[in-house]
Amino acid sequence: MKVRLILLTCFLVSQTSVFAQTILSGKIMDEKNQPLPGVNVFIKGSVDGTSSDAAGNYQFETTKTGTQTLVWSMMGFKSQEKTIILEAGAREIPALTLREEFNELNTVTISAGAMETSDEKKSVILRPLDIVTTPSANGDIIGAFQTLPGTSTVGNDGRLFVRGGDASEVGIYIDGLKVANSYGTTAANVPTRNRFNPNLFKGTFFSTGGYSAEYGQALSSALAMNTKDVAARSQGDVSILSVGAGYSHTLADDKRSISLSGNVLDLAPYQTLVQQTFDWVRAPHSWDLELAAQSKLKKGGMLKVLARTESGGMELWQAEPGVVGNGVLVNLKNNYSYAQTNWRKAYENGWTVFSGVSYSHNQDEVRYDSVDIDRRNDLSHLKFSAVKDISDRISAKSGVEFFIHSYSEKLTRENLSRTFDENESYVFTEWDWYLSRKLVLRGGIRVGNSKLADKTWADPRASLAYQVSKNGTLSLAGGRFHQLPVDNFRVLNPALQNSQANHLILNYLYQTEGITLRAETFYKSYDELVVFEGNLQSPRDLQNAGSGFAKGFDVFFRDRQSLKNTDYWITYSFVDSQRSYNHYQTRVQPGFAPRHNLSVVVKHFVTSLKSQIGASFSINDGYPYTDPNQAGEMNSKTRPYQNLSLSWSYLPKPNLIIHGAVTNVLGSENIFGYNYALNPDEAGHYDSLSIQQSAPRFIVIGVFLTLSKDKNANMLNNL
Amino acid sequence: MKKLTLTLALALAFIFSAFCADPAYENAMKKQITAMKSIRSLEESQAVTNAFLRIAEAKPEEWLPLYYAAYLQTTAIFRFDVDKDQYLDQAMALVEKAEKIALDNSEVTAIKGYVVMGKISLDPASRGQSMSPQAMQLFGKAISLDRENPRALMLMAQMEHGMAQFFGQGPEKACGLAKNAIALYAKEDAKISDGYLLPTWGKPQAEEVASLCK
Repeated sequence: MKVRLILLTCFLVSQTSVFAQTILSGKIMDEKNQPLPGVNVFIKGSVDGTSSDAAGNYQFETTKTGTQTLVWSMMGFKSQEKTIILEAGAREIPALTLREEFNELNTVTISAGAMETSDEKKSVILRPLDIVTTPSANGDIIGAFQTLPGTSTVGNDGRLFVRGGDASEVGIYIDGLKVANSYGTTAANVPTRNRFNPNLFKGTFFSTGGYSAEYGQALSSALAMNTKDVAARSQGDVSILSVGAGYSHTLADDKRSISLSGNVLDLAPYQTLVQQTFDWVRAPHSWDLELAAQSKLKKGGMLKVLARTESGGMELWQAEPGVVGNGVLVNLKNNYSYAQTNWRKAYENGWTVFSGVSYSHNQDEVRYDSVDIDRRNDLSHLKFSAVKDISDRISAKSGVEFFIHSYSEKLTRENLSRTFDENESYVFTEWDWYLSRKLVLRGGIRVGNSKLADKTWADPRASLAYQVSKNGTLSLAGGRFHQLPVDNFRVLNPALQNSQANHLILNYLYQTEGITLRAETFYKSYDELVVFEGNLQSPRDLQNAGSGFAKGFDVFFRDRQSLKNTDYWITYSFVDSQRSYNHYQTRVQPGFAPRHNLSVVVKHFVTSLKSQIGASFSINDGYPYTDPNQAGEMNSKTRPYQNLSLSWSYLPKPNLIIHGAVTNVLGSENIFGYNYALNPDEAGHYDSLSIQQSAPRFIVIGVFLTLSKDKNANMLNNL
Repeated sequence: MKKLTLTLALALAFIFSAFCADPAYENAMKKQITAMKSIRSLEESQAVTNAFLRIAEAKPEEWLPLYYAAYLQTTAIFRFDVDKDQYLDQAMALVEKAEKIALDNSEVTAIKGYVVMGKISLDPASRGQSMSPQAMQLFGKAISLDRENPRALMLMAQMEHGMAQFFGQGPEKACGLAKNAIALYAKEDAKISDGYLLPTWGKPQAEEVASLCK
């Protein structure tokens, strides 16, 4: 009885309308006036509705009456609503067009100058995993990028050189915040590595020119690396290498994770086993500690912290041309710290807000023969930026940035020092405007001010992309770029002004499932480059009087599909660069810019061996250098450089990896240039010494073990 | 007095409407759950998905219609010729909506892992390494939220099976999980009555994984 009463009441309460029926019908088309099937058509707030059929037609009955809202909705399309007054009977709604929403998947992407590494996005060139599995890279991010178009390998330096620009022309960022001294400090002609482990990053954005107004103070290139989000599980990672060891521990729950890691590296045991070309007194050695924490905040915010401190050193004899004996003893100690925190949040109203601060500290103690030098560099970067999606067709990104920078050099014994302090501020804004799904325009401007140079400047940037075929995109990018000279020049002449470059890039990108073809041609002009009297060790009379250009093209082809379990890419870059800079009085081809550069990377997974076998091969046409025994500057060229590297990763268990790699397997005697005596001998001849590799080959063997409750976890990342 | 009666009647009406299950909602759900079982074409799948989305619109406090819509979007990639990444992105958007309604719900957590697993299946070589832990973590969480949820176990069994294949290992661990899942499905079957609206899918998949070890 009671139950019946409740049911009856329920029935009465839930019946809010009388049984008058309306039959609604109509037709839905897309923008091309084709019928649109699968559209959800319904009365708002009720379950009355239907889906459109293959011909775009719909018809349904409703018992609702009065003023109601009719909704047409389909995922990926802009919903439409219409207020109608329902009366009993049939009612035909006029035909209606639904417009597809613009999103990342169905609109064109600007690819001029840009190469993206990501797991998720479509227009990527490399996957994050490729960085650690490229044999010639030895786990260095920069090593992997040296197999990409627009770069050249400078084996005695190790840094990233882009399109005829020197290494200082590449700006390096982590989560949008600047990293100063991101390469380890090293002695002349001893190649360096990037300090940051590829394992930290979920993706990177590498631009070889024409890049966003968000970045500045880099004439050639921006490399933006994005750190990982909250780790999925708690685990410990042990790594034992032929040159060191490390441990990393991660604690994670749903919302937060924190990783602490420490590594020691010492090449001394290795160098006693393997013959070295260089005359080492103390092999390169270092330790580092790193902390990375991520926390999801309420309502979609994310807070990240990254801190790293490291210390290292080396000591070696560097032979001098024309001088008998060991040469000069160089001792180097380096202390480095980097810390940053950033916060990001996306709001439902279309705003995404970012704020962050980073601090880099570098200290080098160098003893060169009997001279003791203490060099310090401190850089703080504050950044606030916001993206507003005004509609699905227009979005704007704007921001403000401040840099506080101080640099000092001190001759310790003489107690002489020189310093500079600098404050820079920037504002930028950049607008993306989708005219259609196939055509996007981007325009931006970056305005900067340097207190030390007492100067304000503006850099306009623009690009566009047009989808020419189903899988092909053509993009064009151009802009102006300013960069203040390197610290050791500015400290000598604080009045030095920006150097300037203009870029123009035309890019064609073709991508289908598993195949990427990318071709790009560029022109870059240089002005106000720093020139000086004397040599690089003791420059005099520095001024912004140099200029030059770089032009060329590059082609990249990657195929992950045609051969089973095999992935390979081929890159060819041609660069014709001439500039008057440093001590070069005339426009010459820089020593770091070989004209022809080719690299091939192949990776093959052998399931029966549970192994990935990799090979990479690089070749260029040689490095120009000046032979003072002949007339002119940059009058000679070294023999071609080549390097074949092989690697083998064996995965006997999911949580264990054994990895081995050999660089320069063929042992080619690469030469990067020549050092000449400052003065000629009695016969009027300048003696020379070739700049060689530190050893013909480098061999590394490592064991990586992951300890976790989940036995399938592995450290593929840490290779 | 009249006023009091009216107030009382209104209060009662309010209490009743909150107290008793909404038959319109239940009927609509029942109808679509039945329809869901006989889907043969993409059009039918789309129609049922849309119906669930309409119910979700009308009953914004219910997670179940969003759940089923996400489920259909996800299974569509295995059954029909669609833009797979796009379908999974849309499924994920629906799951995230459902998550906001039902926080820490075992079924919603499990299907989120299912969507991630679908993403991995499209490009296992490059996505597996970063996304597998995410999927495993979601299945693990779904199990800990409801130890009786057979789908969470079944999905974890499928994931384990995929990883064992990738690493050239035997299917024993996956089978064990699948067998446990089958036991939970049997328990679930006993609960299913005419008006049962909660998810019941996944038993054949569990049996498939379990059949690998014999």
